[in-house]
Amino acid sequence: MKILAFDSSNKPLTVAVVEDGKILAQMDSTEEKTHSISLLPDIQESLKKSGLSVDQIDRIAVSDGPGSYTGVRIAVTVAKTLAFTLDKPLVGISSLRLLAANGDDGDLVVPLEDARNDNAFAGAYINKSNESVNVIPDHHIAMADLLDNLENYDQAQMEFVNASQHLADLIKARYPQAKILLTKDSLPSAAKLANIAVNETPVRDINAFVPTYLRLTQAEHDWIKKGHKEDGNISYVEEI
Amino acid sequence: MSNDTLILAFESSCDETSVAVIKNGKEILSNIIATQIKSHQRFGGVVPEVASRHHVEEITLCIQMAMDEAEVSYDDLDAVAVTYGPGLVGSLLIGIMAAKTVAFAHNLPLIKSNHLAGHIYSANFVTDLQYPFMALLVSGGHTELVYVKAPGEFETLGDTRDDAVGEAYDKIGRVLGINYPAGKEVDRLAGIGKDTFNFPRAMVQEDNLDFSFSGLKSAFINTVHHADQVHQELSKEDLAASFQGAVLDILANKTFRAIKTHPVKQLIVVGGVAANQGLRKRLADEIAKRNSDIELIFPPLRLCGDNAAMIGAIAQIQYEKQDFADLTVNADPSLDF
Repeated sequence: MKILAFDSSNKPLTVAVVEDGKILAQMDSTEEKTHSISLLPDIQESLKKSGLSVDQIDRIAVSDGPGSYTGVRIAVTVAKTLAFTLDKPLVGISSLRLLAANGDDGDLVVPLEDARNDNAFAGAYINKSNESVNVIPDHHIAMADLLDNLENYDQAQMEFVNASQHLADLIKARYPQAKILLTKDSLPSAAKLANIAVNETPVRDINAFVPTYLRLTQAEHDWIKKGHKEDGNISYVEEI
Repeated sequence: MSNDTLILAFESSCDETSVAVIKNGKEILSNIIATQIKSHQRFGGVVPEVASRHHVEEITLCIQMAMDEAEVSYDDLDAVAVTYGPGLVGSLLIGIMAAKTVAFAHNLPLIKSNHLAGHIYSANFVTDLQYPFMALLVSGGHTELVYVKAPGEFETLGDTRDDAVGEAYDKIGRVLGINYPAGKEVDRLAGIGKDTFNFPRAMVQEDNLDFSFSGLKSAFINTVHHADQVHQELSKEDLAASFQGAVLDILANKTFRAIKTHPVKQLIVVGGVAANQGLRKRLADEIAKRNSDIELIFPPLRLCGDNAAMIGAIAQIQYEKQDFADLTVNADPSLDF
């Protein structure tokens, strides 16, 4: 199976074409470039290096969040539009699960994304050979609470992935024996994304595919705080 | 082989997701518009992050509906066009990424279009444009007088120095307790009331073509607040009529000043505020008063708001000029002419 995979949910941008586990092309960038500019040229270049045209791809895999809202939307919009317009299967993978793939087998791997103000997007995974079991679902949480919640695990088995220097300092203070992979040592890999996606079921409704933000917008948060309730029956967007 | 040009056009610069299929820049085969107004009404105005999220939800469904309604396949298309500015960056990016993806997937030329130029060319669906013509662009984000010398050649003669006219409507609407967007209701009230408050007409004496609405807005708000403090009830209808009277004086004054120095056969009025009944009547009256044979063109209401059909119209001109973009196109939130 030929898979086109890409992730732009945080600062790095990674694109790969993988066929049955073999990497045909991979392009990674960690420079401060604009994903909206680079993503499609990188996809085009990756396919060219693979000697494939885009319609020869069997599956599209994308990180669907959490992460930078704009970054996640860029990849998800390209992925869903490509899958829709070429009628290809689409698989969305958690950007934290992808980061967790950088952890060692058997560890309690805790992928992190620094969400500022001592908060993080985080989950917990245990990798076994090619499989990964989600132990704590991805969520947005205060770092202190996350560290509390891990109390019952053996810190020698903990491995934090994609920690900013600040989050690493908080972790070290609490669990000095835990392994910590800093952001620069745990870049997401689109080839790994493709290998995770190969075993997943494609989304059923491509039109309904959206990022997993794991956070309401500030405006919605404030609106609900004022006592308003979301009414599932109201459609906020209408065709006119 | 057909000589017709079919363009798949995208527009997502603010709070409408729109995809259209346009033939030869003149004929609308489809023009799907998904509006987010109900969502942003919760917050009293457009929230950019919320808008971006809705665009991702809607984008492929809009493409599907536009293609189905036009009864065309990708093989029938000649180009893909998209608004790349001005607008909200997060919103623009969704249309841009989707358009680039469709162009790449089907090996079609990509055209990046200016949202303001699109608004002006919405008139192309209702008349044969005769160059040079004058465009008054009035919306929630823009108030501009644009002289269009030749196809796709724009010269901005006047611009707003502060608020856009539609923005001023929304702000004074809020003071009157009218939900966003307020233009339609203020227009209705103005039709009933009388211009009794004599609000200032900013810059009408000045020999330039720029606009200003913040002084008018402040005068309005001060009048209402003062009345509140002394427990005096003011007529909403008269307030609306007085506000709109000042707006129309300013718009009419500057527009006909522009036409005096730049003679044209057509005056086209575009953008969301072009739906305003008071503005439509006022400009028609001014032309009649002058015994002028200028053709006054208002696009139909559906084309006054943001829509992708208008992008297909301006993109046709760019297509003919072979003005194509590559896959590195990015949003330009403050793009002008």
